[in-house]
Amino acid sequence: MARTMTRPGRAPAMAPRQRRRRRPRATLLLLVVASITLVTLDYRGNMRGTIDGARRVAHDAFDPVQGAVRDVLRPVGSFVGGALHYGAVTEQNAKLRTELRRLQNEQLAQADLRRRLAALAALEHLPWASVDSIPTVAATVVAGASSDFAATITLDVGTAQGVASGMPVVSGDGLVGSVVLASSHHCTVRLITDIRSQVGVRYGPAGSEALVAGKGAGRALEVDDVPPGTALARGEPLVTSGLQNALYPGGIPVATVVSSSVTASATQQQVTARPAADLARLQYVDVLLWEPGS
Amino acid sequence: MKVTDLVRASVVVVVAVVLQHGVLDAVVVAGAHPDVTLALAAAGGYVAGPERGAAFGFATGLVADLLVPTTFGLTALVGSVVGYATGVATQGLVRSSWWLAPVALATATGAGLTGYATLGAMLGQPGMLRADLGPALALSTPAAAVLAGPVLRAVAWALPPAAPAYDGGRGR
Repeated sequence: MARTMTRPGRAPAMAPRQRRRRRPRATLLLLVVASITLVTLDYRGNMRGTIDGARRVAHDAFDPVQGAVRDVLRPVGSFVGGALHYGAVTEQNAKLRTELRRLQNEQLAQADLRRRLAALAALEHLPWASVDSIPTVAATVVAGASSDFAATITLDVGTAQGVASGMPVVSGDGLVGSVVLASSHHCTVRLITDIRSQVGVRYGPAGSEALVAGKGAGRALEVDDVPPGTALARGEPLVTSGLQNALYPGGIPVATVVSSSVTASATQQQVTARPAADLARLQYVDVLLWEPGS
Repeated sequence: MKVTDLVRASVVVVVAVVLQHGVLDAVVVAGAHPDVTLALAAAGGYVAGPERGAAFGFATGLVADLLVPTTFGLTALVGSVVGYATGVATQGLVRSSWWLAPVALATATGAGLTGYATLGAMLGQPGMLRADLGPALALSTPAAAVLAGPVLRAVAWALPPAAPAYDGGRGR
């Protein structure tokens, strides 16, 4: 057992056990202060360029390895996913067996090919006129959300293909989201359902403006700034407003109204909407080579 | 910390991150997927004590922060606290029961996710607490318990027990 000695005229020396107990606390304090500093710098935007640069380097380093692992281990992930969705998988399996009896294998394969071809063809001729002139880069979705607290997807295009942060991403049906981080050959897209996403939209014959906010992956969108008494029918389309300095060019279908209600003394209607694009089953998308403010 | 320990810890963090984004991210239930980042931080505290656990949790969180588009530094903050707290809470326990480690990692993951969402809400993202936390807890907490075995084994390899300090040959 270690002992401590106190010399006359000096403060008592700190016992080793006491020192040992304090050191972890000091380490934790140091790490917490460092973390809070990073959070503050990111939150205030002081070091956004440096942080984005570090993230790009990290993605460039990890993406090839992750891609290889994903390709090799995808069957394992599918197996685990299938086990978790066992009930739904069984039901789906029964339906597929019924369908299989009705159709021949060759016809099924051709139908799938036709569907993929139609999806790609739709991307080449976007149905909305105002964004026709904007050049696009076709991309494949290679991964889903990388965090439970962010609704994102990863695409197989990056700065090498001209993609940059802030560029809108669309599918054949409408707006998907915008690029938040682009590395050399991949980019991360924040979906319009993400809780950080807000899209300025127009609706109705008068082109009234509102704000569509994400409420999390798989959840309905919330439409803000709709005055009480506004007639909003179910299925009413909401398109990007394209106002000056908007994050998206105008005229892109964003969502359709699902429900609308108003309570007494409320200053706005409670409106929910469903994304125009099927965000749960995205395969191919287009990145619009358009940056906010351009 | 020795250089070999640093290399081993880096290898474990990198492999965990690659498996997280390459495999576990694809297992999506109700919009969430199992996340082992905080379980890894908790395993650091469980295996190596509060101080090294906090450092390991910080490093793990920082690497995770580089790869997800959320507030930078938030996972590092939560990871260091989770590593420290797990170390403090479990260092005096007799570890004879097989269920202690899974329970410790699941509890630490649940507490860490709640802390993460609460801090996110305080930084202006209330949806993290209201919408995202439930599915994340429902999936990541049991995942931490299920994966406790391999995670602890990997972290024990990365963070071997520190050599006792030289006492001048007095012994004991």
